[in-house]
Amino acid sequence: MANVTIDGVAYEVQDGRTILQALDDLGLLMNGVDVPHYCWHPKLSIDGSCRLCQVEVKGQPKLQIACNTVVANGMEITTANERVQKAREGVMELLLVNHPLDCPICDQAGECKLQDYAYEYGLTHARTKEPRRPLAKRAELGPTILLDQERCILCRRCVRFTREISKTSELCVASRGDRSTIETFPGAPLDNDYSMNVADICPVGALTTKDFRFKIRVWFLDEKPGVCTGCANGCNIHLGVANNQVYRYVPRRNDAVNDTWMCDEGRMSHKRIGAADRVREPMLRSAGGGLASAKLDAAIAAAAAKLRAATSGGAGVVAALGSAHATNEDLFVLRRFCEALGTETLGVAVPSGRADELLIKAEKAANAAGARALGFKDAQVVADRLRAGAVRALIVLGDDALAVLGGEAALAKLECVILLATHHSPLERAAHVVFPARVAAEKLGTLTNHAGRVQRVRPAVEPAFEAYAEGEILARLGQALGLPGFAPGQRYDARDVSKLLGEAVPAFAGCDVDAVGDEGRPLAGAGAR
Amino acid sequence: MVKASAAPSAAEPSELSADSRARIEREIEKFPMKRGALLAALHIAQEEHGWISPALAKTLAALFEIPPIEVMEVVSFYNMFYDRPQGRHHVYVCTNLPCSLRGARGLLRALESHLGVRAGETTADGRVTLGHEECLGACAYAPMLRVGPTYHENLDVEQAKRLVDALE
Amino acid sequence: MALSAPYVTNYLTQHFADDAFGQVDGYVARGGYEAARKAITRMAPDEVANLVKDAGLQGRGGAGFVAGLKWTFMPKGADKPKYLVCNADESEPGSFKDRILMERGPHQLLEGILIAAWATGAEKTFLYIRGEYAFAAQQLERAIGEAYSRGYLGSRVMGTALSHDVVLVRGAGAYICGEETGLLESLEGKKGQPRKKPPFPAQYGAFGMPTTVNNVETFSHVPHIIRNGKEWFRSLGTEKSPGTTIFGVSGHVVRPGLYELPLGTKLDEIVFEHAGGVPDGKRVKGVIPGGMSMPILPAGQLDVPMANEFLRERKSMLGTGGIMVMDETTCMVRVGCVISYFFRDESCGQCTQCREGTGWMNKILNRIERGAGTREDLDVLLDVAGKLEGATICAFSDAAAWPVQGLLRHFREDFEAHVREQKCPFPASFEL
Repeated sequence: MANVTIDGVAYEVQDGRTILQALDDLGLLMNGVDVPHYCWHPKLSIDGSCRLCQVEVKGQPKLQIACNTVVANGMEITTANERVQKAREGVMELLLVNHPLDCPICDQAGECKLQDYAYEYGLTHARTKEPRRPLAKRAELGPTILLDQERCILCRRCVRFTREISKTSELCVASRGDRSTIETFPGAPLDNDYSMNVADICPVGALTTKDFRFKIRVWFLDEKPGVCTGCANGCNIHLGVANNQVYRYVPRRNDAVNDTWMCDEGRMSHKRIGAADRVREPMLRSAGGGLASAKLDAAIAAAAAKLRAATSGGAGVVAALGSAHATNEDLFVLRRFCEALGTETLGVAVPSGRADELLIKAEKAANAAGARALGFKDAQVVADRLRAGAVRALIVLGDDALAVLGGEAALAKLECVILLATHHSPLERAAHVVFPARVAAEKLGTLTNHAGRVQRVRPAVEPAFEAYAEGEILARLGQALGLPGFAPGQRYDARDVSKLLGEAVPAFAGCDVDAVGDEGRPLAGAGAR
Repeated sequence: MVKASAAPSAAEPSELSADSRARIEREIEKFPMKRGALLAALHIAQEEHGWISPALAKTLAALFEIPPIEVMEVVSFYNMFYDRPQGRHHVYVCTNLPCSLRGARGLLRALESHLGVRAGETTADGRVTLGHEECLGACAYAPMLRVGPTYHENLDVEQAKRLVDALE
Repeated sequence: MALSAPYVTNYLTQHFADDAFGQVDGYVARGGYEAARKAITRMAPDEVANLVKDAGLQGRGGAGFVAGLKWTFMPKGADKPKYLVCNADESEPGSFKDRILMERGPHQLLEGILIAAWATGAEKTFLYIRGEYAFAAQQLERAIGEAYSRGYLGSRVMGTALSHDVVLVRGAGAYICGEETGLLESLEGKKGQPRKKPPFPAQYGAFGMPTTVNNVETFSHVPHIIRNGKEWFRSLGTEKSPGTTIFGVSGHVVRPGLYELPLGTKLDEIVFEHAGGVPDGKRVKGVIPGGMSMPILPAGQLDVPMANEFLRERKSMLGTGGIMVMDETTCMVRVGCVISYFFRDESCGQCTQCREGTGWMNKILNRIERGAGTREDLDVLLDVAGKLEGATICAFSDAAAWPVQGLLRHFREDFEAHVREQKCPFPASFEL
């Protein structure tokens, strides 16, 4: 460890760290100790070219760049004095020699490090009278990203990202001097699973995503912390919300889960929230054979009646399929519902696909590990009982299980199929009662990622139609059936369920929605990331 | 409406001759890491083809086991590597300070009007690419120009014109 | 045609007029490779390094760092390969001395390299020559081949246990590859963008191995120091700057050319006595003493001894000894335009101040020359130059700032005349 002072305050920092890394480790960077910077990024190699992070180090005649100065015991660092300020002004003014004054038409406005630092550290007026160099203003780098070469400040973060993180090497800085530009190789566009991260790390509006471009000004967005539900990695995100709508996902830093990154597919999954195929109301199978909309009470009553009828001879005829998309709380209620019914046949079908060495996990749902930790076995156990003819009533969450169960034909013989789904799917054709479910962005709860980390989701938007947390529907159903543990008249509260879960299942102790906070917490006995 | 088809362009070079490859191999032997020979390989490839096309960049990239874009960025950085077809002869007049003090810019202008091209352009017959360069290390022999690897020093305008006319 | 020998010679170039000196037989006949033999067979490596250090040989590539001292930075062990790099990228405008050293004295250079190899334990030298020096490269290839065939290079050098390889590597046209770490990047087959320091080349150099980079002329002095000793070397030049250097004189002089003279020779002596002064009866206006990066000196300040300790007092430096003479007709704003264009073109583009500042200064100077400048522009120009000093990955940025500062320091009146008259008031000046 090394003892250093920064602006007169003593700190103990790890050996071998640079000044910027040490400040980042301490959680102070731009959060108490301001060292503005562009080219440095906590997850990329040190570049040292923007020259903005200059600080004064006692004993060194020249200012030093904080990103490349390793701390030494006894080092005295000053981040704010007239000399440092002048150096920052110098860098800022020089950046504005060629950077175009595009703020009124630039997406980055409001979250632009050039704007922010020019305001904080720059001169009040730039003295250049020279015409700025004209370059490509809307270059398609690839299917997801547009480049405005004029705005680029050549921090090279994007180039380093493609070489070090995605390891796809699509970008370079071509030419030299003030003719330098970001380029791709002809026929080799920026096209990889993580391409949109370059727009996050670009400090200015040079790199923008086609998805978000010109959609809304960022100062209208409420950036709410949450978790991506595209796969079992559970990348931490911010949901950008305005007008009760999610406009974008951006990654939220969590060094234990996803660093500062997320994959493009996960990032685009925000579109699923307001998708046209959401289930928008409860539905009942009518005598004519089709599904007709129904009021919630009627649907609950009908579902309760069907369950009572099916279980009249004994509870062993009920099977339940949880969803790996549902929260731990929803699944816990389902489990208690089934326990109260006297059935132990709990399965979950987890959709799977390709994985990679970076973030993408094979299980394409955010709570597969949670479902397993709550005792949900592989969906095969349900399929087996179905095939054996031992099931009369099936409660299904989500829409992933149809194939595993044996298709619509396998379900056609059942007396009672109750479906709680977020999106329409072929499973509906076999359902007698359908309840509209909320997605993670619309409810309070927790999800357990592949490494056993329990992470919180909170309602970022209210659905514009009728939808309920699965736990709430099951609670009402339990109340309607008079099941033990489902006291009548009690309002459903996910927070209460969360606390109960922690008390009832040892692995989840201390992992309720409040305890896990925004950073998450591992299940008891969970391994590292 | 039927559009006239574009004249077929010269085929983009993409392969290296056996001789070029052998020369590149000899250069690679000089270095503890293969990549060190990239500049030499680009010189050799240009001696054969005159410029580095994207296809040629890919061939070199495969040889050096690096992404083609890393070949492209090297080509773009150095004055002596070209990413577009060139004239048969490069005629570069030095226009840095000692040469300018002794009339280099007038010499360049005279050649521009003599050849009918501006610096940076190639004559229509593809014979000469005229350009200007920074200090070539011939400051006492100014004004001067180079034709490819050969320096022609202590020139006056007439000598320069005759020199250029003699290039085939 | 280029000179085959400087107009004034000394120990480095005294035999250059003789073609045979550039061939191995001619070189050996004049005592060539005997200094290397002496160093390798009769002196320990440390002894050699200390001798060269004590002789006070300053690097002749522009930075002036004591060469022998640099050699001692190489680590002592043999656990990783160590390299030498001969910086033959000579691209500083006004400098053409390394060229003649390579064209006419290639074996002298190789001998110096060999001695340095012995002193540092380097197993290989990369001789990085600028791509445009095709003829010099040919001479070096030939000389290297001759040296190998005579056993001066390769395994068992001159029958000793020393082995050393020299390979010639060509650049491709980028001034910044003359910067030590820019050169190393280029050597590794990449863009020649200088590296952040630390680490320094002696710790992490070519291909990550300990490396010492020295200039062509620096190496060329070494055999003479070994042969004649440090007292002899110190008998030439000044106390702080011993030995000779090859000054290159160009511009408005009667006899532009090369002059090997002791360091400390006065600038006016070089210009007026050796190079014949300014032709056509004109007066001198200004002289850049050390290559285009070095601040200009006005007519009244040319009585300065050409050595760093004296030039520093006049706010300039020896650099590469490229002396550029400008007569009374010269418009110093046009000079600024030429100089600033060079730096703008050659900036590698990494650091903000350098990339944007070199462009901005060039644009301002062009505008002033066109007659569209204001008084405020002069202040901005000086201020921008100040922002380029001491704050970047390498010293190119400083080198871009100094000439502008020098021009404004001594010739501000030229600039103010442009502003006042809204045109260039020097119609007789060299054409831009």
